[in-house]
Amino acid sequence: MKLVIGNKNYSSWSFRPWIAMKALGIAFEEILIPFGTPLGNPDFRARLAAYTPAGLVPVLIDGEVHVWETLAIMEYLAEKFSGSGFWPADAKVRAHARAISSEMHAGFSALRGECPMNIRRPLGERAISDAARANVTRIEEIWSGCRATYGGPFLFGRFSAADAMYAPVVARLNTYGIKVGRKARTYMETMMALPGWAEWRKGALAETWIVPEDEADWPTVLTA
Amino acid sequence: MKLVIGNRNYSSWSFRPWIAMKVAAISFDEEVISLYVEGSREKILKHSPGGKVPILIDGDTQVWESLAILEYLADKFPNAGFWPADRQARAHARAISTEMHAGFAALREECTMNFWRPPAKRALSAPAQANVARVQEIWTGARAKYGAGGPFLFGKFSAADAMYAPVVQRFVAYDIDVSAPAKAYMQAVIALPAFQEWRRAALRETWVIPKFEYDWPEVKRLPAEAA
Repeated sequence: MKLVIGNKNYSSWSFRPWIAMKALGIAFEEILIPFGTPLGNPDFRARLAAYTPAGLVPVLIDGEVHVWETLAIMEYLAEKFSGSGFWPADAKVRAHARAISSEMHAGFSALRGECPMNIRRPLGERAISDAARANVTRIEEIWSGCRATYGGPFLFGRFSAADAMYAPVVARLNTYGIKVGRKARTYMETMMALPGWAEWRKGALAETWIVPEDEADWPTVLTA
Repeated sequence: MKLVIGNRNYSSWSFRPWIAMKVAAISFDEEVISLYVEGSREKILKHSPGGKVPILIDGDTQVWESLAILEYLADKFPNAGFWPADRQARAHARAISTEMHAGFAALREECTMNFWRPPAKRALSAPAQANVARVQEIWTGARAKYGAGGPFLFGKFSAADAMYAPVVQRFVAYDIDVSAPAKAYMQAVIALPAFQEWRRAALRETWVIPKFEYDWPEVKRLPAEAA
C-alpha cells in the first residue's frame, strides 16, 4: 500500500491517515508530493496525476484501489484491517466515533481558516474570532465528553480513527497557543506523545517549502 | 428508530439519510424541527450535542452527521445495499460521498437547496462553476465505471446517491446546465418515489428562512399542487 501525501508541515488532511496507520501498526510506502505554489498549480497536479485521478491528497493506493478523502481512507482501512481497531468494536460507541469524525471532517471552518496547520511555526498566542472560539469550545466538549465516557487516554480508550481525525486540530491548538482547559490539554499531550507524532513532526521540520496560503502572517513567515 | 430532520424545503443534510432509508425500505418515525427560529437549537440539543440535524435515534444510540448515520445504517442493515458489495466500488462510493460531505462549499452557499423555488438561473462564481463541473465528473465517472447494473452511480441506489440527492435538487432549482449523462442521472434520482414524497411535503411547508430565499423579501414558490 502507498499513501500519497502533501507537505508534512501544512497538510492536515494528509496527517490523519498517516498517523492512524502509524499508530495502528499498518505498514505502507509514503509518497510525498510537495504542494508548490500557488496551491493547485499545474506541476503539482501533473505529479499527482501519475498516482491518482482524484486530484486531491491524501490518496491511498492499494493495488487497483484508489481511495481519496481522509474519512473514506479510514473506512477502507477499517474494513481491510478489521482487527486493528480503527473503529471501536461496540456498535453504539462506533456510531459516536463516526459522528465526531464526520463532524470534524465537515466542520470547524473558522478555526481551520484562521489557524492553518503549520508545524514549524514557533508556538505563540494568536487572537481568534468568536466563531473560531465557538469551534474550540465544541471541540473541548467533544474531547472531554468522550474521555469521561470511555475512560481515556484517547477519545475511545485506545487510539482510533477518531483521534487521527482530530490530530491536526491538536497541532493547531498547540501552535497558536489557543487557551483550552486542563482536560483538553491532557488529551493533547497524549496525542503529541505518540511516536508517530514525533516522526511526522521531524519530517515537517526538515521541509523548507513555504505555502503562502497557510501562513497566517503572510508575507511574514515566522520560523524558529 | 427515529430520524430527526429540519425543514424539508431547505435541509439538504436531512434529506440524505431520509431518502436512503426510504429507498432501502427501512421503517422509521420522523420528527421535523423548524430551523433558524426561536427554540429550534434547544430542540435539537435535546437529541444531540452536535446541535445539528439530522439525528438518528436508535434506542439509546444517537448518531448525528449524515455520513455517520449512513455508516451506522450500513452496519445495522448489511444487506440493505447502503454501500456497493464490491470492495473497489465501495471504496469509490465512500470517497465521493466524503467529497460531497466536506466539499463544494461555493455551490452549496450560492445554490441552497430549495424545493419550492420555481427553477431559474442564477449567476455562479467561478468556484461554484468548478464545483458543478466536478460534480458532473463524479457522476459520469461513477456511472461509466460502476453503473452498468442500473441508473444510479453504482448501478443500484446506494448511500452515495443519497449524499448527492440534494445536489440534484440544487441543479434543478437553479436551472444549471449539465451534460446529457448527468441529466439522465438526475432524472433517475428525481423519479424515485421517495424523492417525490419529500418534494410534495416540502412544497406544503410554510416555514420560510429568509437567508435561503434569494429574492427576499419576495418568496417565489411553486404551488403545493405543482407536486
